[in-house]
Amino acid sequence: MTASLRCSGISKSLGGRPVLDNLSLSVNAGEVVSLLGASGSGKTTLLRIISGLTDPDRGQITLDGRTVWSPNAAVPSEQRGIGMVFQDYALWPHMSVEKNLGFGLESQRLSQRDVAERLNHALEVTRLAAYRGRYPVELSGGQQQRVAIARCLAARPALMLFDEPLSNLDAALREDMRVEMMDLVRSEGITVVYVTHDQAEAMAVSDRIAVMRAGVIAQFDTPQAIYQKPANAFVAGFIGGFSLVRGTVHQGMFKLAGVETEPLQATGARSGVGDLVIRPEDARPATSHPATRLQGTVVSQAFQGRCWRLVIELGKQRVRLDWPDAVPTGTTLGFSIPPDRCVILTE
Amino acid sequence: MSHEQRLGATASVRGSGERQLGAFVRSVIARVSVLPFIIYAVFAMLLGLPLLLVLVQAVMPGLFDANAPDMALSLGPLEKAFGSSRVGNAVVNSLELAITTALTATLLGGAFALLARRCNIPARRFISAVPWLVFLTPSYLKALAWVLLISPGGYLAQWGILSTQFIHTFFALPGLVFVQTLNLFPLATFVIGAALAGLGSEYEDAARMAGVRPLRIWLHINGPLLMPAIALSLITIFAEVLSDFGMASTIARVSNFGVLTYGIYAAASDYPVDFPMAGVLALILLLLVVGVVMVDRLLRRRVDPRLISGRSKNGRIYDLGLWRWPAAIAALTISVLALFLPVAAIAARAFSRTLGAGLTFGNFTAANVLTALSFGTDTDGALLRSLAYAGIAAVITCGGALILAAELDRSRGILRPLVLGLSLGAVAIPGIVLGFGYILMWNRLPGFQNWPFPHYGDASLMVTGYIAAALPYCLVIIMGAIGQLSPSLGEAAKLHGVGATRRLLRITLPLVLLSVVTAFLFTFIRTMFELPISQMLVPVNGPPVPPMVTHLFSHDQDGLGSALSLLSMLVAGSGAGFIWLFAKRFVTRRGVASAVMPTAASSGISSS
Repeated sequence: MTASLRCSGISKSLGGRPVLDNLSLSVNAGEVVSLLGASGSGKTTLLRIISGLTDPDRGQITLDGRTVWSPNAAVPSEQRGIGMVFQDYALWPHMSVEKNLGFGLESQRLSQRDVAERLNHALEVTRLAAYRGRYPVELSGGQQQRVAIARCLAARPALMLFDEPLSNLDAALREDMRVEMMDLVRSEGITVVYVTHDQAEAMAVSDRIAVMRAGVIAQFDTPQAIYQKPANAFVAGFIGGFSLVRGTVHQGMFKLAGVETEPLQATGARSGVGDLVIRPEDARPATSHPATRLQGTVVSQAFQGRCWRLVIELGKQRVRLDWPDAVPTGTTLGFSIPPDRCVILTE
Repeated sequence: MSHEQRLGATASVRGSGERQLGAFVRSVIARVSVLPFIIYAVFAMLLGLPLLLVLVQAVMPGLFDANAPDMALSLGPLEKAFGSSRVGNAVVNSLELAITTALTATLLGGAFALLARRCNIPARRFISAVPWLVFLTPSYLKALAWVLLISPGGYLAQWGILSTQFIHTFFALPGLVFVQTLNLFPLATFVIGAALAGLGSEYEDAARMAGVRPLRIWLHINGPLLMPAIALSLITIFAEVLSDFGMASTIARVSNFGVLTYGIYAAASDYPVDFPMAGVLALILLLLVVGVVMVDRLLRRRVDPRLISGRSKNGRIYDLGLWRWPAAIAALTISVLALFLPVAAIAARAFSRTLGAGLTFGNFTAANVLTALSFGTDTDGALLRSLAYAGIAAVITCGGALILAAELDRSRGILRPLVLGLSLGAVAIPGIVLGFGYILMWNRLPGFQNWPFPHYGDASLMVTGYIAAALPYCLVIIMGAIGQLSPSLGEAAKLHGVGATRRLLRITLPLVLLSVVTAFLFTFIRTMFELPISQMLVPVNGPPVPPMVTHLFSHDQDGLGSALSLLSMLVAGSGAGFIWLFAKRFVTRRGVASAVMPTAASSGISSS
């Protein structure tokens, strides 16, 4: 039932403005891939192109090796066998939960028995059996989202697309629904393309993440690889609240721009202008790693439960650090970063 | 179903070379949509060509000459019109009436909207419903009712409460302004009321927190924010008065107050027929109407729509204290004058033998109503025909508008705004001009003269005219409703393999049902009481209700005319009310109300 997806050379312009630029993406069968990017990065356009709701200008899309779109051939979206969970769920408000699930199945001319079997299965796995007679307006936000997923599952799609499905839920419900939703999808073994602008959400749900910027994929890798080794300053800046500190690499040493401090050891980094990536959780006492030591002035502190979030000024640049204790503002603070966590992105 | 099976269309595409070529050709054809051409053709046939012929008349007076048609250009008709004092008077009279009524009706309608929407007056729900009832009562009927009330032998004169001087003044500009104001103030109430509904309390709250008093808030905050609505109301009423034929052919004619619309009718219908003169008058009328519509567009372009948003909080309701009683009495007085008194006059006349004998028991008779109801009479035939024409026109118009609106909603680019623009423009075309255009096109234009369907002289052409006049309104109403649906509702169905027709019938239609029913009832009632097109295109098999009523009134059969009017209002009103209640009940039961995204777009419909 599950299918692989390949998009190659996809380009799309809207109103004369290029939205996708020669973009290629491969998703293996049963894999969950997130399209992560800011507004206007082209992620939703790509999702709509995959679904068939929008046609690209150029390129090719295949599902399990079969072309569903090329300049010469287009399979209409209703024949692609793709399911989609919309940002607003798109539940038909004049139909009960049961009717919402069954309406699409009736169009596929399935037997009554098949429809009933699929419907019951989808309602059962989404724990909605008790709500089958209710209308969408009578359900909570979380229940509505489960109906949207159940509707997709009942159609048994080869590929499921999620368009920011959690963005309409409050923070507390969001995490619960995320876990529940992905457990369901993974237990059904469906290939998923998941659009989000939330880095934490992408990290949590995906096997791989495609970080998008201005219609191209800036990095496509596992969440761990993207976190450990962001491909460039944009990815590093977009992922995880990292701080980037500008400087120059010379003979294996990194020197901060605009401030007189001891250079840091930067083994293996290419010479030239570059950015030091500082993850907040990597901050250690200054004495722990003397070769990668930095010093700055605390400009703000905020209690975050398990630690304090400090903002340190290094000359004209600022970095965010997680620190075990409160440090009064104005204090000069020395800290170090484990050498193996020092990532320098050179231009 | 396996994935391979579902991708059957793909498999066929990936077949042999010829099949690939075939698919390519098919995809190219599919992309060159025929929809725009169909839309242009519909608009051209129904509105564009008749209008063009009317205007061409003005400069090619010999074009439709029955004996020797020729295409010579001539400014003769224009010179004749501008040299004629009758035409000059008609223009001045029309403008005088339109400008004065625009001011008075906007003032009255605005006050009514303010009372109904923002004040805690008693009977608020009832008072809020009055403008709708006034709006749906045909203008010619209200005008005839006022003739029954105010004329020298009329009901009010019989009671001795009107002086001869008053009666004399009434059947001139002041009386016409009075009747038109009561006729058209609902438009101002709708336009300004919609703006008041969208004008949340936050701006007012901010001013109150800054210590500003209510009067200053209204002068400096709410007033300027409502200015675009007030301007729109002025312009709409101005254009409505210019285009009105109901009052023009009844009370204005009785008052010997010539206006442009009646001038067109007289030139095109009275012997000797003067088509070029009708063309010139139509040209002047259109220029005036188009002029004000252009001013409206310019004004609206300058307005920042973000000021009045759909996210606004509910407006503040003013507690008038003891003043709420005089305010309610004032609103009820307006209601009586605008609705109940005219309807009562028609009812009284329907049940009395003669007007002169007044409201006495001895003058009571059911004969008029019984005659109007008797099967096989002219009046009964008119009533049945009108019901049938109105039903057919409403079904065709709403069906067509629904399909067109759904298609347009899916289309990208310029088509949707273009059709909306065409529709809003077409709304401004006076019915009398359209009716005249239909005569020229279907009675005189080669190729259309002997067209079997619709055919000049048949009811088919009159119903086509009704459809042409109602289609723009229906399109605006239904497009507004469909535009408020989240596009994802249709897309979700599409991804589930649901075809276009099924999507329209099972997703879109149930969700916009109330708007479709509104458009249906609007068209039905409007058509039932449509006078200018009916008068211009009276079918040979007998007239519908409106020309029949005006004919009866002008031939001293006002009792029968009143009975026919009363019956048609009762039948059409109760039918419409029943359909509306049924639709509303159905929609509420199915929980459809939540389908529509909360936006302020609905205000745009009423302001059209």
